Amino acid sequence: MRFTKAIIPITFCVLLVSLAAPAQKRKGPAPKSDKPGAVVSPIDTDALKGLLTQQRQRPLLVNFWATFCDPCRDEFPDLVKINKDYGSQSLEFFTVSLDDMSDIKTEVPKFLDSMKATMPAYLLDANDPEPAINLVDRRWRGDLPATFLYNEKGEVVYKHIGRVNIAELREAIDKVVKKGSS
Amino acid sequence: MRTRNLSMLLASLFVIAGAIAVGARAAGEVPAPPAIGATIEDFTLPDVDNKDHSLKSLAGKNGTVLIFISVQCPVSNAYNERMEKLAQDYKAKGINVIGINANVSEDAAAVKAHAAEHNLTFTILKDPGNKIADRLGAAVTPEAYFLDPNNKLLYHGRIDNARNAAQVETNDLRNALDAALAAKAVEKSEAKAFGCTIKRA
Repeated sequence: MRFTKAIIPITFCVLLVSLAAPAQKRKGPAPKSDKPGAVVSPIDTDALKGLLTQQRQRPLLVNFWATFCDPCRDEFPDLVKINKDYGSQSLEFFTVSLDDMSDIKTEVPKFLDSMKATMPAYLLDANDPEPAINLVDRRWRGDLPATFLYNEKGEVVYKHIGRVNIAELREAIDKVVKKGSS
Repeated sequence: MRTRNLSMLLASLFVIAGAIAVGARAAGEVPAPPAIGATIEDFTLPDVDNKDHSLKSLAGKNGTVLIFISVQCPVSNAYNERMEKLAQDYKAKGINVIGINANVSEDAAAVKAHAAEHNLTFTILKDPGNKIADRLGAAVTPEAYFLDPNNKLLYHGRIDNARNAAQVETNDLRNALDAALAAKAVEKSEAKAFGCTIKRA
């Protein structure tokens, strides 16, 4: 009898948790969400490969960064502005953080929020970052920040390792965005 | 004729200006590291007490490990214990570990305090003007170089695969040291180092 009394509230709690859990899982990166709070999604090497190689209608800009990387933090406001200026209609843009997985709900979204960054944000979920680095560019040594611009065919048309020259990046984007719309 | 000469002069100036611009961009990049098998020339750097040491004077009889490290970089700091353990484990085997701090933003006093705080007992050198970082093409912290007794580069890259010690699966640097000690070829002589960009002068 005592056992039955105890099991009812426990079952109720388990039911509540199980109902809430799928709703949390559905949350993904929300590029244009007006809701406060950046959502950072884990991405493994295979999923990153899928994102980089999938067919697309627009050029793709990808920025690899980390909260511990000073030049990454310094260039971020310029990247946020590029995202706003071009918009997702003409340019796909996502960022991949190489921070530790333990930072996925703390340091990384905190920084993105402070930047008012709304582009989709991922954090590389890999014990070994080397395969992902090689996947992106075998000649890239993994130093941050690193910025890659792909055309609609998936070809790299611009890359920069280190703090990006924003005028140079805009010029490169303008070339492919123009080509894409013609 | 004069107009043609002027056009040629202007064209030449554009070419020269372009070449300078390209050169300036290349100069801002991290120099390429020496190839595996290359011999690293002796160098002298000051320690945290401003006492000069040559590579030759610090080298181990079976080889030397140079690791570019940092005071503030969380990735480098995640390796503090592993680097100290590496130094202790291989000292007895004749391989010496030397830390090099090439960050312009971290002075000798900060490096000394950091070493004391984290019980780093191996020698740490300061690399003012990042001359040795440039010579070795070091880009990040931590980034390791393993030299044989003749200063021939046997391994360059990361210490292991994971910042989080609990997720280490591949001890690339230790594997290289063990292979050399066993008089075997280093199977994986390069692995991409991952960490914080060295703050160059």
